[in-house]
Amino acid sequence: MWWYVGKRLLQTIPVILGATFIIYALVFLRPGDPIAGLFGEKPVNEGVKEQIEAQYNLDKPFLVQWLLFLKGAVTLDFGNSYTGRPVIDLVSQAFPVTITLALMALAIEMVLGIVAGTIAGLRRGGLFDSTMLVTSLIVIAVPIFVFGFVLQLIFGVKLGWVDPTVGGDWSVSKLILPAFVLGLVSFAYVLRLTRTSVAENLSTDHVRTARAKGLTQRQVVKNHVLRNSLIPVVTFLGVDLGALMAGAVVTESIFNIPGVGNLAYNAIKRGENPTVVSVVTIMVLVYVLASLLVDLLYAWLDPRIRYA
Amino acid sequence: MSTRSEARAAKKNAPAPGYDPAVDPLLEIKDLQVGFRTSKKDVVPAVRGASLTVYPGQTVAIVGESGSGKSTTAHAVIDLLPGRGEVTGGEILFQGRDVSKARKDDIVAMRGSSIGLVPQDPMSNLNPLWKVGFQIKEALEANGVAKGKEADRRVVELLEEAGLPDAERRAQQYPHEFSGGMRQRALIAMGLAARPKLLIADEPTSALDVTVQKQILDHLEMLTGELGVAVLLITHDLGLAAERADHLVVMYKGKVVESGPALDILQHPEHPYTQRLVSKAPSLASQRLSARVEREEVKAQAVQTAGEIAAELEAEPEVVGDVTRDDVITVQNLTKVFKLRGKRPGQKIDFTAVDDVSFSLRRGTTTAIVGESGSGKSTVARMVLDLLEPTSGTVLFDGVDVRTLKGKDQLRLRRQMQPVFQNPYASLDPLYSVYQSIEEPLRTHGIGSKKEREARVRDLLDKVSLPTSVMPRFPSELSGGQRQRVAIARALALQPEVVICDEAVSALDVLVQAQILELLNELQAELGLSYLFITHDLAVVRQIADDVIVMEKGKAVEQASVDEVFSNPTQAYTRKLLDAIPGGSIELGR
Repeated sequence: MWWYVGKRLLQTIPVILGATFIIYALVFLRPGDPIAGLFGEKPVNEGVKEQIEAQYNLDKPFLVQWLLFLKGAVTLDFGNSYTGRPVIDLVSQAFPVTITLALMALAIEMVLGIVAGTIAGLRRGGLFDSTMLVTSLIVIAVPIFVFGFVLQLIFGVKLGWVDPTVGGDWSVSKLILPAFVLGLVSFAYVLRLTRTSVAENLSTDHVRTARAKGLTQRQVVKNHVLRNSLIPVVTFLGVDLGALMAGAVVTESIFNIPGVGNLAYNAIKRGENPTVVSVVTIMVLVYVLASLLVDLLYAWLDPRIRYA
Repeated sequence: MSTRSEARAAKKNAPAPGYDPAVDPLLEIKDLQVGFRTSKKDVVPAVRGASLTVYPGQTVAIVGESGSGKSTTAHAVIDLLPGRGEVTGGEILFQGRDVSKARKDDIVAMRGSSIGLVPQDPMSNLNPLWKVGFQIKEALEANGVAKGKEADRRVVELLEEAGLPDAERRAQQYPHEFSGGMRQRALIAMGLAARPKLLIADEPTSALDVTVQKQILDHLEMLTGELGVAVLLITHDLGLAAERADHLVVMYKGKVVESGPALDILQHPEHPYTQRLVSKAPSLASQRLSARVEREEVKAQAVQTAGEIAAELEAEPEVVGDVTRDDVITVQNLTKVFKLRGKRPGQKIDFTAVDDVSFSLRRGTTTAIVGESGSGKSTVARMVLDLLEPTSGTVLFDGVDVRTLKGKDQLRLRRQMQPVFQNPYASLDPLYSVYQSIEEPLRTHGIGSKKEREARVRDLLDKVSLPTSVMPRFPSELSGGQRQRVAIARALALQPEVVICDEAVSALDVLVQAQILELLNELQAELGLSYLFITHDLAVVRQIADDVIVMEKGKAVEQASVDEVFSNPTQAYTRKLLDAIPGGSIELGR
């Protein structure tokens, strides 16, 4: 297995190279002059402009810029933002918030989705099942920012149970409502996936054999239905962790959370190549590691899959 | 399990008051009706009045084709009817108590400890995610037989008892590390774990090779005999049932049409369905001389037709090879070595699937390749079809090496050699209608106009005895036998010289098997076809083949004519295959 993990980790190198290259190319092709933006309305002194361009390597060809970025990235030096702060500082402040938010969202959707999905799958056609199907359909159909604003208004403003916005000094308790909003759509998918999978597994031959052994319904569901049903759900959750981090952009702006989404959004607006590329690189890394984790979880869930 | 819950379980399992095990039957089914609910009001009946009795220690077999309600009856006994199935009438008395009216938890208490089940398909009946030992241990713990370390020890004993060598290590393995026969042994260990009084064996071996089938059934018979367990054996093979059971119950279309002592039914079948079963089941029919005489007639006619066709073909300019040769296919020193992934990364292990096999197929005759799974017989077929490159050796078709053909000539070869595969459920595209499936090869090879192709499809359906009304239907709407007929029609669409049948009848019920074999014989006589017939079952060979090649572990261990193989086998392995034919030892009435 360690051979497999090593192989997969080696594969991340070309992925990172390709991803940074594409991002660099996209940012480079973006119209507008970032330095003019930096000075706003004021006229720019040619000498100062050239100096700044040299400082951020903007005067060099695109390929050289990219290679210089890679060279710095190896030593965790991602350059400075246009306000002069090292990018690594910005990123290391913003990432913990987003990671916490995404993991909380993942936990919420996983627990609620699997529990509700299992019950619905076991009682297919029942009242609970129908209610859950309709609810999940509504959740999938309505855009996420609508839920964000509505829940913020109800729980944050009208009822005052939680702070409507998070702000700079974030804490886990403040993130509960945003995490719920963030995980809502995925919850609906997890629920539906689990429901179908459970219903399908209930009618398999080995479940009938388990019943014939004299196991009670609870034992049958616990050992022979649930574990078998989780395989597709785990695939979805792994890919979803990456999607949650990207989706955080909307949620973070609604609840004013100082996370990666906010950072990336502002950096894109300002054309700050080093910041944008750094943030995206780390997101790519999270994605790659999450999918590796999913593949390892697979092998644990299903002994037929063994990596050599 | 605490003593209190044990006592409760014991009470639930107790016989009805007044039940006397010495005289009363263990299981008595009276006029059972089972239906599948399609809506609130509609129930489609599956079992319409079935009655049978099983006395303690007795083996009773229910025989019938698929859809006869035999499995449904068995599942009703332990309340495991699939989906919307329900008992709509009659009684199922187990030790005097009516199972169909019992409470849910009473039935759960009864499963495993009073009535065990050995299911049909060993591949799908073990949970792939748990170790085999764990799954047997569950049965012990759920029925309060043993728990913890003691249960682990018992699991190993049970597996040994079921005839699994190296049981201690095997218990720690997962189902996918087991072969089909080993899995079935594990399932038997599971079914007998809590020492039930009745064991329901639902087609316990129909998914296995004949030799493995015999071993497993022998072992099951010995075990149940020693333990005094009554067995309700469900099977579609009358020969097998008669050999294993004291008492037979023949079911047809949801009803019991005949029941009585096994030998009696076999020698004096009364119901027309039973009569057909007795005369047609390959396992029984293979013993009859009449089968050989019929086969000789077919062969004589086929060889003559093949000669006439060859003479006609010779006149055509585009024909590849020499069609007048006696041997249509000659296989010389065929060897296939597969590279398998080794334990260490990058390591490769050679596995010789086919080892220096040579034979020839005479025009208008049938050569059968017989062997267990893993003997390399299907690999030979794939190489003959030019679907797999041999490591060494040649396949000559009409005297031409098939590997040297390219482009148009290769396409031409494909036309002259067509396959029919084992599983008609998998080999027909479910999204193609019958018409599309049969017409496709004609279209691929650009034969005829649309009108002509349609006429050809009609003609082909007629040849395989299917009505033209099946043309717009899809494979899911056909029975297994009908599907195999469609597959044969598709193979014949291009007027091939050779048809390669890879286990073409193995997935079918005995009567359907007999019909398909008959059809193949008729077609051979009419069209002068040559067959390469691959099977694990020697019983069907006698009705269709002229020459037999017995393969074991990639080698051809015996090659002779059918009569010689049946009457005078030279290899121990061939004798083993012959002995494995169910019902072979039974004296028939006629």
